[in-house]
Amino acid sequence: MATVAGLNLLTPRVFSRAIDSPKAQSVKSPLLKSPWKMPTRFGNGRVYMQPLRAAPESISEKVEKSIKEAEQACQGDPASGECVAAWDEVEELSAAASHARDKKKDSDPLETYCKDNPETDECRTYED
Amino acid sequence: MAVCTIYTSTQSLNSRCSLYTPTKTHLGFNQRQVVFYSKRSSSSSKRGSSSVITCSAGDSQTIVIGLAADSGCGKSTFMRRLTSVFGGAAEPPKGGNPDSNTLISDTTTVICLDDYHSLDRTGRKVNGVTALDPRANNFDLMYEQVKAIKDGVAVDKPIYNHVTGLLDPPELIKPPKILVIEGLHPMYDERVRDLLDFSIYLDISNEVKFAWKIQRDMAERGHSLESIKASIEARKPDFDAYIDPQKQHADAVIEVLPTQLIPDDNEGKVLRVKLIMKEGVKHFSPVYLFDEGSTISWIPCGRKLTCSYPGIKFAYGPDTYFGHEVSVLEMDGQFDRLDELIYVESHLSNISTKFYGEVTQQMLKHADFPGSNNGTGLFQTIVGLKIRDLYEQLISTKEAAPVEATKA
Repeated sequence: MATVAGLNLLTPRVFSRAIDSPKAQSVKSPLLKSPWKMPTRFGNGRVYMQPLRAAPESISEKVEKSIKEAEQACQGDPASGECVAAWDEVEELSAAASHARDKKKDSDPLETYCKDNPETDECRTYED
Repeated sequence: MAVCTIYTSTQSLNSRCSLYTPTKTHLGFNQRQVVFYSKRSSSSSKRGSSSVITCSAGDSQTIVIGLAADSGCGKSTFMRRLTSVFGGAAEPPKGGNPDSNTLISDTTTVICLDDYHSLDRTGRKVNGVTALDPRANNFDLMYEQVKAIKDGVAVDKPIYNHVTGLLDPPELIKPPKILVIEGLHPMYDERVRDLLDFSIYLDISNEVKFAWKIQRDMAERGHSLESIKASIEARKPDFDAYIDPQKQHADAVIEVLPTQLIPDDNEGKVLRVKLIMKEGVKHFSPVYLFDEGSTISWIPCGRKLTCSYPGIKFAYGPDTYFGHEVSVLEMDGQFDRLDELIYVESHLSNISTKFYGEVTQQMLKHADFPGSNNGTGLFQTIVGLKIRDLYEQLISTKEAAPVEATKA
């Protein structure tokens, strides 16, 4: 049961997006806290983990790239739709990067994981 | 939790439904009604009477709040303050798209209007339009879906992925008690605007916007003062054409300006913030200082309260805003100590708190949010309390309505 719930987060559809996702980072973190579980519970989990860990980086790279593109797009006509749309993309990505930083700052990876997977072993709480 | 006031009109007409059911069950029940409504002839015999079906589709049950502001102007912070006032933390939908822009709490669902982009990032690039441009947004779908939710019908809302710039598969949005639509254009389309029970516009002056974006972006690789400035300037024509004009429709505007307490200050650290409140809005009575309708200038710092530099200054009075009668409350400066905030709160009237010091408590609770020591945090919190009050008034009139109907 727990295995199914855990794997659920890594279905191919979600994963394909998760490469760029800062939020998806939370998925892998509890596994790092309990790496002994990885081979059995997330067979090929390691394959997924590298790109996920790189998530916030990838937004930063996109911001950097978009600024370069905007500067290029505006070399001809600074009032052109192309130039304006390019700077709008910079704004959108900068805002996304900032939100990703905020989210990372105030999230505890285990708490985040357990919110979605309360039934897993890592997330059990005991009362005497 | 147990009081499901929102759906009372349904309940009052269907005596078999108990008055105190958990909200979740009720939402589920409401959902089912929707399905029944669409297949009315075939399955209405399965459960419930026709009266249930009729009233679920006919009554507006969700209260809709609109929040408009440009990107990077504090919508997220405001949303966090607002949902906190309503109680319970707002979180992304569980088990859904990790890049969903939606926030859900017990009472409130916040949806981001970027999800109604009709052109994705590539599409905008190809057509040379910004996200601010109405042509990049699907107002028909926005209207249909907000209206459906307001009528108690769940919708499959698209998700605009801010990381990839693509439109992701939709997510199900169930009708909450309070729906907040936040984004660039909540008051742009007249049909959407008419669905709003209350609307807020965050009006950030150019100087402050520039200072905030420097704070936000300077650490980001590739950004420089020039790139931040270029981005603001490139977007400004569309901003002026499509976003800024919405403020004339807002019931409350929070205007953020540079301070006047420090001559020639352009650091953007000390702020002068105005809360512009429309008069005559149903269920919304503006906050006032000392004497409602008078013009007042107040410096709380003096013998009773000592403030550090540059001090605090308040102003209050009637005014007109785009031809509307408004009340304006203004705060310049910042709170350095707790007693300053309590002192100010105790001198404001009509702030719709439930207990003495509630504004201060909310501000302290989120001391780490930007603006918690100045007018932005103070007025955002107050607007949150006013919306809670408006919601409670609307609910109580809806509770009373069926009683009136039976009398007649």
